[in-house]
Amino acid sequence: MIHLYRVSKSYEGIPALREITLNVDKGEFVFVTGASGAGKTTLLKILFCAERADEGQIIIQGMNTFRLSPSSIPYLRRNMGFVFQDYKLLQHKTVYENIALALKVVGTPYGEIERRALTALKRVGMDNKDHLTPPKLSGGEQQRVAIARALVNEPQILLADEPTGNLDPQSGQDVFRLFKEINLKGTSVIVATHDWETVRKMQRRIVVMERGRITTDSKDQALERTVPANNGRGASKP
Amino acid sequence: MRGYGPLFYLIEALRGLRANGLVNLLAVGTISMAMLIVGFFLLVFLNLQSAVHAVGERLAVSVYLKEGVTPQERDFLAGRLKTEPGVRRVTFVPRDEALATLRKELKGQEALLEGLGENPLPDAYELSVDENLSDPARMDALARRVEKYFGVEEVSYGKESVEVLNKLLRLVTYGGMTLAVLLGVSVIFIISNSVRLALYSRRQEIELMQWIGATRGFITGPFLAEGMIVSAGGTAIALAVLAALFHALPREAVLFLSGPGGLSFLPVWVIAYLVGGGAVLGLLGGFFSVNKFLE
Repeated sequence: MIHLYRVSKSYEGIPALREITLNVDKGEFVFVTGASGAGKTTLLKILFCAERADEGQIIIQGMNTFRLSPSSIPYLRRNMGFVFQDYKLLQHKTVYENIALALKVVGTPYGEIERRALTALKRVGMDNKDHLTPPKLSGGEQQRVAIARALVNEPQILLADEPTGNLDPQSGQDVFRLFKEINLKGTSVIVATHDWETVRKMQRRIVVMERGRITTDSKDQALERTVPANNGRGASKP
Repeated sequence: MRGYGPLFYLIEALRGLRANGLVNLLAVGTISMAMLIVGFFLLVFLNLQSAVHAVGERLAVSVYLKEGVTPQERDFLAGRLKTEPGVRRVTFVPRDEALATLRKELKGQEALLEGLGENPLPDAYELSVDENLSDPARMDALARRVEKYFGVEEVSYGKESVEVLNKLLRLVTYGGMTLAVLLGVSVIFIISNSVRLALYSRRQEIELMQWIGATRGFITGPFLAEGMIVSAGGTAIALAVLAALFHALPREAVLFLSGPGGLSFLPVWVIAYLVGGGAVLGLLGGFFSVNKFLE
């Protein structure tokens, strides 16, 4: 589903990704973890075509993103959902309107919008708060709305960048539980996170990054040996 | 691929206009002022043009004949005059008839004609010409050609009045065109700025739409429609104000301003073109702004 081969990216001469090679299969759940500045966000942005890689090959759902014209990028993005650390909800619109916007953007017939928006909100347990605006919701609730928005068009891939970074531990757990449910229904999920405790508990594939390189890519318990004692926040050596 | 029609963009544009009500109201007001000036010049231009046409239609060229021209030579000349391009009708005016007409025109001042003895007026042909011959250069060319014909003594036409009207028409045309271009650019600038303000106020929403798979058309459509509505609306208001002012003119002023072609308001097709032109200017203003923003 996602194939990256020797992908590199620099910002003003400073390398952010160095020859990354990574394959993610359909229905797989992958945690991307590592210290700040390790390249997790750049990796997700490249997958989402928000950034262009300098070198390498990226194939997503059979499409070579290097060959995609700017006008084709929106169509690629429609098959992916993105969950942000800061939720990116429109503050002046209601929860329902935030979800409906994602449906309108892809040209969903008006008659279907309400049903599909409410179904997505029900899936994340927010259907009873559809009339409220984001400032009236807690951080965890806002992130659940953001997840509903990412899922409403039934994408095959869900990307999340530090989705629990602004949440209390309990809300963070709820969010990860949601991701697990989504993944069980066949959506590939890639989550960039610092939250090593959750990563360990979830028992999923883990990709550790350091200074723009993938230092470990493993689902087995041996991974624990490669992770530093400071919860993955410091530099680790492969 | 699914998508929405023009109605969707119109509804979204109306929502956007409401959200930035004050900015758009100011833009409509400014555009109205600019288009009022354009409309006024167009009104003057069209009325002047109709005056020139009216004068052109009434324009006659007098071809005075030499003494001693035989009836056969006269008929031959009439035939040649009829073949001249732009000449619609050739009427023979005998010298006696010309004198009788002059007497009528000088009614009350007949003393001026006393003592003339013999009729001093020559036989003549009156030529009615097409209105496109009201152009002084063409008229002059016709006169010069006819002057050379056998049996022709002199050719005269209302040269001065034709020249004055044409100069005035040229002045209004060029002045109006310059002003229309300047004001058109101003309208684009005004729209571009009001759309830019709308874009900045909704930049978070636009960024998000790009993230969730919105095409460029989906994002730009409502802003372009907003530009069109504001500009066409401003133009319509300007024309309504101009019409109200025109119809409120006192009768004396109408009589004073009326030329040979009368005084009339802008025809419907001109109004339609102006509103349509306003919409196109709004579209251009919106287009420049949105493209710059998205780049």
